[in-house]
Amino acid sequence: MTALLEIRNLKKHYQMGASTVRALDGVSLAVEPGEFVALLGTSGSGKSTLLNLIAGLDRPTEGSLRIFDRDLAQMSSEELSLHRRRNVGIIFQSFNLVATMTARENITLAMMFAGVPRAERDAAAASLLEAIGLGGRQDHRPRELSGGEQQRVAIARALSKKPHLLLAEEPTGNLDSHTSRDILTILKNLNEREGKTIIMVTHDASLAASYANRTITMLDGVIIDEQTPSRV
Amino acid sequence: MTFRDTLSLALRNLGEAKLRTSLTTLGVSIGIASLAGMVSLGVGLQDQFVSRFTKSGLFDTITVTPGQDIPGGLATLARGGRRGFGARRRPERVAPSSNATPLRSELTDDTMKELAALEGVTEVYPSVRAPVEAKYGNDSEGMLAAGVPMSAKDEGGFQSITFGRFFSGDAAAECLLSLDMAKRIEQTNPQALIGKDLILIHAAPGGGNPPPAGPGAALSANAARVEVPYRIVGIIERETGPFGGTAAVSGLMIPLGRAKAIAAASRALQQALVPERASEQTYSALIVKVKHAQLAQDVEDQIRKRGFSAFSLNDALQGAKRGFIILDLVLSLIGSIALTVSSLGIMNTMVMSILERTREIGIMKAIGGSDGDIRRIFLIEASAIGLFGGLTGVVLGWLVGRVVNFGANVYIQNQGGTPGNLFSLPLWLIGGAIGFSVTISLIAGSYPAARAARLDPIRALRHD
Repeated sequence: MTALLEIRNLKKHYQMGASTVRALDGVSLAVEPGEFVALLGTSGSGKSTLLNLIAGLDRPTEGSLRIFDRDLAQMSSEELSLHRRRNVGIIFQSFNLVATMTARENITLAMMFAGVPRAERDAAAASLLEAIGLGGRQDHRPRELSGGEQQRVAIARALSKKPHLLLAEEPTGNLDSHTSRDILTILKNLNEREGKTIIMVTHDASLAASYANRTITMLDGVIIDEQTPSRV
Repeated sequence: MTFRDTLSLALRNLGEAKLRTSLTTLGVSIGIASLAGMVSLGVGLQDQFVSRFTKSGLFDTITVTPGQDIPGGLATLARGGRRGFGARRRPERVAPSSNATPLRSELTDDTMKELAALEGVTEVYPSVRAPVEAKYGNDSEGMLAAGVPMSAKDEGGFQSITFGRFFSGDAAAECLLSLDMAKRIEQTNPQALIGKDLILIHAAPGGGNPPPAGPGAALSANAARVEVPYRIVGIIERETGPFGGTAAVSGLMIPLGRAKAIAAASRALQQALVPERASEQTYSALIVKVKHAQLAQDVEDQIRKRGFSAFSLNDALQGAKRGFIILDLVLSLIGSIALTVSSLGIMNTMVMSILERTREIGIMKAIGGSDGDIRRIFLIEASAIGLFGGLTGVVLGWLVGRVVNFGANVYIQNQGGTPGNLFSLPLWLIGGAIGFSVTISLIAGSYPAARAARLDPIRALRHD
């Protein structure tokens, strides 16, 4: 089975004043299609940096990061934006919805960049909102929605581009435990029923263990532990 | 991303910050209003100037003088009026040097026939200034009487005759005076001169054979002079020749037929005194009338090709037009100051908007917006401000122009002038102003747009 994602000796160093911060210091990792991977670690461990690199929001200092056999490290910024548009859907801790746009508009915005015609994207947004249980709230703006609802909109937005890979950065970090379970259930369903590959960054080891089928723990820019809690 | 989507997104963004957008647009419209208003004033003044001069009927007249090495122009005309050794020598110096048109220094009756045959020419007559001695009461004064053709009636300086009327015929013993001249004769009431006789003493035209040259010639010349009473029929405001604005300005005007006869007679007398001088009758200048003013330039060129110097008021008009272009440039520079300020306003608005929307830009990049998409959104926002600002600016400029025009015309009418449109807003100016507004806005928006496109998505997403 060919890996969807193959990372080799990935390094990301930042210059902070006089000192060099080694956010990632030689990470190698392969993710197969259909996996639900949780990246664990304390803050500053490099897990978010790794996710940003996979998302194509940042460029590695060294190493290779291949998605569908294409190396992100070699891509132009135009190609990186195509990568973000086609291959990955990103879910953030702080939802990152455009405050001035309604739920539907936030979803269609992503499809707008992909050049989807208006009628098609409106229909797609409606059915996505219906699917995540927000059918009646499509004309609400983010501030009129609860945290859980906002995150659902963000998930719908990430799904609107039909990506192979869903990237979630602390998706439940701003939510209460009840809502967190709802969101994770949605992700788990996407993984199991629709075969979406998910890489989720979290600091909650117990959550990770109960939903992901592989957990990777990082510390100081390297992987220190890897487990496969439950292979179904 | 399609253009339509980009446009709707950009307009939406502008709508989210209505106050800021409208203030910036207002700034642009004031800039465009000042620019369009200034240029409109320049164009309006030019239209006024050109139409007044065209109405004067002087633009169908070309003054032809003997060929000069530098063709055309006022300077040439001024030199052409001076006939001397230099003027006669010059053609000889130039002719063998090049294959250019040989210059011709003689304006004769044949020349008149030649020029009359040119297409578009309605009439050719010589500029004649007859030497006379004018006598009124006990005072007398030597002067040159300008010959005025009957066709000059109702044209140029004869459009309005202050007192009296135009000549009754080409051979009538009548004269017209300029107001200045009339005042010199009758200081307090020049109008009273109408109907009076002015005695002109001049060579006797057709007075038989001139006396033979010889020691007694001077005496004979005296004998060949006659005193003829000329009825003063009219007084005109300005000193003007039969054709506007040329050298043949004289305070005393007589019918061309009479002037020609007197000039010929004087010439015959001169020949009698100095027989070796050229025998053919020549003129210092010929006046060529064309059908329409539009033909003047064409005919002028043809005349020049034939080796003469030619001048028409069109030349002066061309010069004036150049002057107006400079005026327009100066006015638009003044107008541009306001536009420069408003373009800084656009830049400021866009930079502020980027600062405010940094996170939004980060989101758009994270979900697949490319640098180009972001840049285009902001550029379209800027040009939309420019377009709205340009449209409202033109309307604003027009309104201000109307108001100023109204005020100015009230003043002009009070001063006894004829009111007119000081501001002219032709279609090219409307289109140009709006296009310029959009262009300036695009330029002002390009820096903020590039800055937005370059934003690092990760930092932008962390931005509050």
